Amino acid sequence: MAGDATERTEGTEGADADRSTRETGTEATTEVAGLSPSLRHLFGLAGLAVLALAPLATTGITLLKLAGALFFAVFVMSWDVVSGYTGEISFGHALFFGTGGYTSGMLGLHLGVDPLLSIPLGGLAAAVMGLLIGVPSLRLQGPYFALITLVTPVILLSVFRFFPGLTGGELGLVSVGSIATLTIDPLENYYIAFGLFVSTLAVFLAVTRSDIGNVLTAIREDEDTVAASGFNPAKFKVFAFVLSGAVGGCAGALFAHSAVGSATPSELLSLTVSIEVIVAAVLGGIGTITGAAVGGLFFFLLRDVLRNVETIVLPMPFGDLLSGVPTTIEIDLLVPVLDKPVAELDFLVFLLITLAFLFFLPEGIVARLVALGRRTQGRLSGDRDGPVADGGRVRKRRDTGARASESPLERITERYRTVLDGLFGHDRRQ
Amino acid sequence: MVELVSLTINVLLLGALYSLVAIGFTLIFGVGGVLNLAHGALLTVGAYTAYYLTQFGTSIWVGALGALLVPAIVSIALYAGLIHRVRGNPVTVLILTLVVGLIVEQIVLVLTGTEPLVVSNLIEGRTTVVGDSVSNNRVTAFALSWVLIGALFAFVNYTPTGKAILATSMSERGAAVVGIDSNRMYVYTWALAGALAGIAGLFLASFQTANPFMGRSPLLLSFAIVVLGGLGSIRGSVVGAYLISFLDQITVTMISTRLSGVSALVVLVLVLLVKPEGLFGREYTH
Amino acid sequence: MDGDDSEHADDATSETRSRRTAASGTDRRADRRAFLKATGGVAVGAAVAGCISGGGGDGGDGGDGDSGDGGGGEDAATGTSSGGNTTGTAGGNVGETITIGAMGPADAPQGISILNSAELAASEINADGGIAGAEVEVVTKDTKDDPGTARSGYQELTTGENVTATVGIFGSEQLLAIMDTMAQQESPFLGAGAATPEATRRVKDNYEKYKYLFRVGPPNSTFLAESLVEFGGDMFESMGWSTIGLVAEDFKWTEPVTEILENDLASETGIEVAYNERISEGTEDWTPIYDELQSSGVDGAFVQLAHIGTSSLVSWAKQAREFGYGGIHVPDQFPSFYASTEGAARYTFSQTTATPTSELTEKTKPYAEAYDQEYDGFPVYSGYSTYDAVYMLKQAIESAGSTNADDIVSELEGASYTGTSGTIEFYGQNEEFPHDVKYGPEFVQGVYFQWQVDEEGNGVQEVIWPEDLATAEYQPPER
Repeated sequence: MAGDATERTEGTEGADADRSTRETGTEATTEVAGLSPSLRHLFGLAGLAVLALAPLATTGITLLKLAGALFFAVFVMSWDVVSGYTGEISFGHALFFGTGGYTSGMLGLHLGVDPLLSIPLGGLAAAVMGLLIGVPSLRLQGPYFALITLVTPVILLSVFRFFPGLTGGELGLVSVGSIATLTIDPLENYYIAFGLFVSTLAVFLAVTRSDIGNVLTAIREDEDTVAASGFNPAKFKVFAFVLSGAVGGCAGALFAHSAVGSATPSELLSLTVSIEVIVAAVLGGIGTITGAAVGGLFFFLLRDVLRNVETIVLPMPFGDLLSGVPTTIEIDLLVPVLDKPVAELDFLVFLLITLAFLFFLPEGIVARLVALGRRTQGRLSGDRDGPVADGGRVRKRRDTGARASESPLERITERYRTVLDGLFGHDRRQ
Repeated sequence: MVELVSLTINVLLLGALYSLVAIGFTLIFGVGGVLNLAHGALLTVGAYTAYYLTQFGTSIWVGALGALLVPAIVSIALYAGLIHRVRGNPVTVLILTLVVGLIVEQIVLVLTGTEPLVVSNLIEGRTTVVGDSVSNNRVTAFALSWVLIGALFAFVNYTPTGKAILATSMSERGAAVVGIDSNRMYVYTWALAGALAGIAGLFLASFQTANPFMGRSPLLLSFAIVVLGGLGSIRGSVVGAYLISFLDQITVTMISTRLSGVSALVVLVLVLLVKPEGLFGREYTH
Repeated sequence: MDGDDSEHADDATSETRSRRTAASGTDRRADRRAFLKATGGVAVGAAVAGCISGGGGDGGDGGDGDSGDGGGGEDAATGTSSGGNTTGTAGGNVGETITIGAMGPADAPQGISILNSAELAASEINADGGIAGAEVEVVTKDTKDDPGTARSGYQELTTGENVTATVGIFGSEQLLAIMDTMAQQESPFLGAGAATPEATRRVKDNYEKYKYLFRVGPPNSTFLAESLVEFGGDMFESMGWSTIGLVAEDFKWTEPVTEILENDLASETGIEVAYNERISEGTEDWTPIYDELQSSGVDGAFVQLAHIGTSSLVSWAKQAREFGYGGIHVPDQFPSFYASTEGAARYTFSQTTATPTSELTEKTKPYAEAYDQEYDGFPVYSGYSTYDAVYMLKQAIESAGSTNADDIVSELEGASYTGTSGTIEFYGQNEEFPHDVKYGPEFVQGVYFQWQVDEEGNGVQEVIWPEDLATAEYQPPER
């Protein structure tokens, strides 16, 4: 079953998706046919407006959850801006969130620094971490870089564990003392998260749609060409890491001081956090920022739904007319075989859904939606490019060489493949 | 004196155990070019297979057989069902193996809960070695580990299939030219890696206890071991395993138990930064 | 699209519930109404129900209620008497249903005991007329033993479900993580699993903010440490322990324990502490630690392990270490622990709140048996305290005649309740640990048991301390 899907995506659908992914990735720089930028931007703005006005429709616990989702989306964006663009996949982005959150939290707890000062300091500390991770990425590639990013948060956690008096060890700062909370009001808390989300989105979109973004994308595609054009790829890569670290660190710090988070390893530093961020980005579509934002929100809320799902309440028609018949019936959502409620297995169910997503929708939600939208719009407004047999469209595209038809994921893949070939490969002994 | 003896014994034992884990990890990387982050979960599969078999009243040795076979099957299924189809895409492979590893942990967690389980000793009783009393279980595990490592060396170097695996790991294209079915070699490799990890999981569980997350720290140690020994090198893995377990035991005994596992990770980072090809680089036997 | 998502999430939380225990069906409710009518009023009915249910189905009233606020001492909070003998006001502001939250890790025995015991108490109360006529509904939340999950679960309870009060929590870190929400929501919380004194120290430091926290059990870890010293003073000599090693898990709750043991154990019991190490979470290989204990020549390892105890104990048994093993060891308290470790628990001992066979009060055994009947197995320490907490809540709401948080708090401050774990009273605002359960033989003290083997070869938890409750002598491990 899974196999079919893969083949499908490798086939016609894949080709279509590739185009759309690339399109969103470079939307500011290329005038692409299909869904016009203005309409796409309208959708984006409408989404933001819905988020901005959400407190009018909901209150209390839902706002807290939405705030959590916004924080998580910022984490995902901070991953995307470096890994999605430069192709250096970070498997330990929690390092930045943890550094930011813990720095700010510890400054407050042990030195009494005000959160308004300690949060930027947290971001600064994480930016320094970005520098420390970014520099080795210049030398190390592929699986080696993956390993180094994978273990650095573990090492940091071990250091924390060695100084439990300062850090609370494995159990987080909450076990050392009460971290100052910016606000406990769900509404204010929500707008803090929303403000962070919007400003991160704005900064990242500005950067990635500027010349810097083009250079980063070009680095991912062909580092040597970039160097040949007179740019220093190293400088841009390190910049991406520092930017990502600073934003991730600020987000981690704000999160730690918010009503929905605190500085504990399980929330900011654990392997699970890093993985969730990558998975969410892949779900949304990498190398697009907007995909990361949507993926992050979707991921967080899906997880929350799974955690709370227990029964499905079905309204019974005519229940109120007939005495003795209830107006609604509750059906327990049980996982077959195990006979356990879904809510107890939320993480497992979630992982299985993720697995399915990785197989069936490898190019991400946003790319798929944009493709869908483009197809619908194309049908409505007539074909501007002329249909081709696979249902996609032949388009005149800017010439980026042979790799133009590849999705970012594939381009990164290609790069890994090159590294692996270099390590074990065919040409080595020539 | 006693402390020195017990330290040496611990290093000898753990070195053999970690070798089993690391060899499988490095084999899959060397042969398939895949960094298998679900490798740790295979230890869990091995340990719980043995646990459930003994719960049905069979001997622990039947359990040990199960701990070799079931993880091998799971490993093959992982390769053939998932990895094979996305093999050309290392990023997807990394994420997929990670997700699969987490899924295995969660399934075990759902089935058994968080409480650690007791897995029977292979052999009961204690033996005195140079004035220090060691349980026979650990001695048995040590001996069996080395039997398996030796068998693997012999297999890879002296049997046609083993040589074919090695050839595939050196050059897939070259192997194809001489008529080796590389896909079959991949399946063999994954099966071998699964079996070795599974039995290591059983040993580990019989020393300590079995819990759903028991594969995590051996996986992290494996990173350090294979990077130190050189990714893809079997001999390097064994040497790396001994170096890492020596370092770990020294740190734990001399400094603090809180640093368990940390020194290995620091070594990993240092090696990656200074000498990424590892001590032994890639092993090319002819 | 995002808006849709959020609404979806909202629907899921408000319409689908965690495990709920309302009264078991409408029939029972009808019975109760009829009963209330017959006895001539809600208030009287509630008072009667209070007395009956206090006995945990056993019929006896166990002395609850009558003691009023006698133990309250200096805090003399309200002057009104508490307990089931209040008449007149009850029922007025209580409403139709009272929702109580229960929190714990749903996949660990400590958490399961909390969630089940809350439901058991609620269904008993409902069967006997509810709380002041109102039906009790329990909403459970899984903490996954993780501070983040605990916080969001508690926010769902207090903000989403509007619970009157919450009981439970195992793991001090989870308790500390929810304290700010507790203060903000002004929602009473009756702790039943976490032992850190840090929680009640916060009540002391900022009473108005944190006064909603009470701890029904276990005694905070400062008292647990005192209990260890007392036990050592009484028992070490006869156990043959003259040199010991201290092994504590590096968690919040053991910090005061380690400190007090370091200071007092040697001086008060005359033994030598030859090894003292705090072990971090994630420690799986205990061999180097035991090697060192052995070479230090200790007679026993005096442990304080709650989260990481099982692999420690099993390694000790598997390696057939020559020193003894015991102290406060939470997994060891599980009634099924002997069987699940295939006998590795034999000879180990631990402090616990109560064992299923110990008669701390006349409610102890009936509760344990009712629990066993309902859930096919005995509860662990957190279950006893949770069960007591729900009944204390009932007592407080009924005597206050309202579910107002401040009323409940002042009622609890003056309360004295004889539950399954002893006579429960709380320290006053001016004492060292306000709102902590009073520790001592006349209040809640706990027992020490050892796993021994009976004639049929089954593991039994035999109480070895205190002397008046002891059912067996300590047996040294046979190696």
